[in-house]
Amino acid sequence: MLAALAGAPPAEAAAALWDGMVGTPYAIGSAVNTAAVLLLVAAGFLLAHRAGLVNVGGEGQICVGAVAATAVGTALPPSVPPALALPLVLLAAAAGGAGWAAIAAWLAVRRGVSEVITTLLLNFVGAAVLVLAVHEEALLRQPVTSSETLPQSAPLVEAAHLPLLGIPGSPATVAPVLALAAAGVVALVLHRTGTGIRLAAVGLSRPAAHRLGLGVDRLRFSALTGAGAAAGVAGGVLVASAPHVLDDGISSGYGFSGLVVGLLARGSCAAAVAVATALGFLVSGGINLQLAAGVPASLTQVAESLLILGIAGTAIWAVRAARPRRAHRPDPTSPRAEATP
Amino acid sequence: MPPPQPTATPALELRGVTRRFGTHTALDDVDLTVAAGEVHCVLGENGAGKSTLCHLVFGTLPPTRGELLLDGAPYSPASPAEALRLGVGMVHQHFSLVPTLTVQENLLLGRGRRLRPDRAGLAERLGEIEQDLGLRVDPAAVTGSLSVGARQQVEIVRALLDRPRLLLLDEPTGVLGPADVERLLATCRRVAATGTAVVLITHKLAEVMRVGDRATVLRGGRVVGGGRIARTTDDVGTLRDDVGTGALSAADLVPLMIGRDVRMLDPVLAASVDVGATAAAPRPGVPVPGERPPAVLDVRGLVVEDADGARLVDGVDLAVGHGEVVGIAGVEGNGQSELVAALSGARGPSAGQVLLDGDDITRATPGRRTALGLGVVPEDRHHEAVVPALSVTTNLLLGRLGAYRRFGLLDRRALRADARDLAARFDVRAADLDAPLSSLSGGNQQKAVLARELSLDPLRCVVAAQPTRGLDLGAVDDVVTRLRDAATSGVAVLVVSSELSELLATCDRVHVAYRGRLSGPVPTDAPDARDQVAHLMTGAAA
Repeated sequence: MLAALAGAPPAEAAAALWDGMVGTPYAIGSAVNTAAVLLLVAAGFLLAHRAGLVNVGGEGQICVGAVAATAVGTALPPSVPPALALPLVLLAAAAGGAGWAAIAAWLAVRRGVSEVITTLLLNFVGAAVLVLAVHEEALLRQPVTSSETLPQSAPLVEAAHLPLLGIPGSPATVAPVLALAAAGVVALVLHRTGTGIRLAAVGLSRPAAHRLGLGVDRLRFSALTGAGAAAGVAGGVLVASAPHVLDDGISSGYGFSGLVVGLLARGSCAAAVAVATALGFLVSGGINLQLAAGVPASLTQVAESLLILGIAGTAIWAVRAARPRRAHRPDPTSPRAEATP
Repeated sequence: MPPPQPTATPALELRGVTRRFGTHTALDDVDLTVAAGEVHCVLGENGAGKSTLCHLVFGTLPPTRGELLLDGAPYSPASPAEALRLGVGMVHQHFSLVPTLTVQENLLLGRGRRLRPDRAGLAERLGEIEQDLGLRVDPAAVTGSLSVGARQQVEIVRALLDRPRLLLLDEPTGVLGPADVERLLATCRRVAATGTAVVLITHKLAEVMRVGDRATVLRGGRVVGGGRIARTTDDVGTLRDDVGTGALSAADLVPLMIGRDVRMLDPVLAASVDVGATAAAPRPGVPVPGERPPAVLDVRGLVVEDADGARLVDGVDLAVGHGEVVGIAGVEGNGQSELVAALSGARGPSAGQVLLDGDDITRATPGRRTALGLGVVPEDRHHEAVVPALSVTTNLLLGRLGAYRRFGLLDRRALRADARDLAARFDVRAADLDAPLSSLSGGNQQKAVLARELSLDPLRCVVAAQPTRGLDLGAVDDVVTRLRDAATSGVAVLVVSSELSELLATCDRVHVAYRGRLSGPVPTDAPDARDQVAHLMTGAAA
């Protein structure tokens, strides 16, 4: 319907959307790559959220992570083997994102400043750092040879490129594997380790966790910097994928979409994988909608957002319906467990 | 409908009222009749359905079955607003006043949709209430600056503004000191004398005996008994005729409440309902007074200040020796909470010293205190003692998860086994130890806290703040027994409580907190210990 507004026949628009989602190996590959970035951000979000912290700063952490990855990736000598170059670039990205989140984490732990505010505001600063880095030749901008030289970095050394999965016609890199591994590690930490339980305790009740001798400040700090590291790796993945350069539009909202994934997943890493995949395909289809059906980019974004809202709304509905409806606050004096002998 | 006859028609009548929450039946076929002008006590332990009854009458919840009648007319309020309009006033267990507003503003809140609040009308009505009932409030005072007793008076006055036909009071004495309780009970009688029906919801038998005309006892959601209350002494000053035929005495009511005979009760338990002996039961191993053992917990000149520099704890000296049980009595808000917070490490003191077996723990982290053998049962169970949403197992062992690492992961089998063991030792009754702790009853939650704190190794000292608050008698018995057993095995025990009878029955000596200072100690084996402590609670020695 929105497509019709923009002058494209709805049927054609739907076909374009579908084509862009699953029509070609290329479409599927790019959708999976997008999903990987979203999943990385979401996995970090889930980690921090378990400790009661809401990381809204994915976008800024991606930017700084990407800048750090580029700095390392362009500075490496071409002779470095991929087995060394790629981990170095991703580590730099993680460190960049973690460092960026550490500012907010420190403020939250030491000064009691809401991390929602600080991470959100640091997004703008992070984006500005990225713009500065790609516009200044002294920083990361490629050598300016003419007035047409784009404000972007030089390409990363060959060894630092993310390898493709090797599916013919598909741009899919190892990023999805990486993201699934990250989600797996987060799931393992949250559900199978003492740290996961401690994080949950801190997230649910800081006074009780403190009373029981847990390192509340340390746990909160690590959880938020961990989230930043995951988002930073997402930034690193973005620059290490084709076209292997850093430009100022590199994130294009992945940080916020990743946040949406994390929120919709409601604490479950498996759900995050599913939501990230769905959203990845949606984004990829939206790009084709612009290209094939000539729908303006802003309209596809509106359509995507409406779809997300719709999905989220029905999901919440379904969850509500599955649970018995509570007509009231549970009576604190009712002896719910006294039926057990 | 025929006009109601003033004597024959009860002010409130419940007929076969049932309320279910899922599979749990909170109220089961309850009949209740409250006459105008009487004080009707609804008595029962926690979980007996008292609060649910309040919710039904005040319109917060609808009954599942059965009907309510107000002055003979069918009554089914859809909301508290409707209940208020129909003449039902309620004083909640927890105050619902805005602390930053003045009393006048609080009283005017939610009264009609007038652009200009009716201040003159309010002043006039306040005058009437003062004249009729002797209840005086200062309209200009900021509510937050008032004492707890004064705030409750504001609550009562607010409930009386619209001349209700029925006044509900839900556990009104829980937070009051002895003098305020007296005043409240007297107020109840005076309100009843004006023809208003007063329903007093309580679990304290002493109050019922003092003020009630009739009582209804609830147990497990059912009415298990009730009737007119016998009076031996009349300390409220109202003339009453009591011939005693068929009237209920305290000894009749206790077995109804708890389903056991008074003689079966532990002396502590009996003391807590004010029947039977109040003297401490002799315990083996209690040191003879006079030869005080070396202090395990030694507090010297402890000062805790709030953000404005006001001294909440003002130079407290306290020593608890091996095997001693020391109590701190006092009306709440006299620095007890802050003292416990400083002892547990939740709050840093600004001066003074805390020693545990010679180790200076004044500024130690809670983890270090635990390692040195300090068990703490915090005052606010849900806020500080447990994480209700986590499983029982986790709550029992959260502080020692480090001991359950296997290949970097958590050894959940060992964790469960140990939790099961602890739960069995401390009689924590849970259908499923993996279920959230909030699924347990209050008593079992507190037993879980005790299990965690008393199973510390080493355990040198236990600080228990309001350990029996909100628990039913059976659980109170269990908690008190555990603490005394710990003392018998050589642990120093400090109990902070506002339940004086319990302290007198549990402790070797009792200090009284007043305005951040401790007075006493009063040895509990002194014949007039209760009077001495009650006297100190009014601030006589401070």
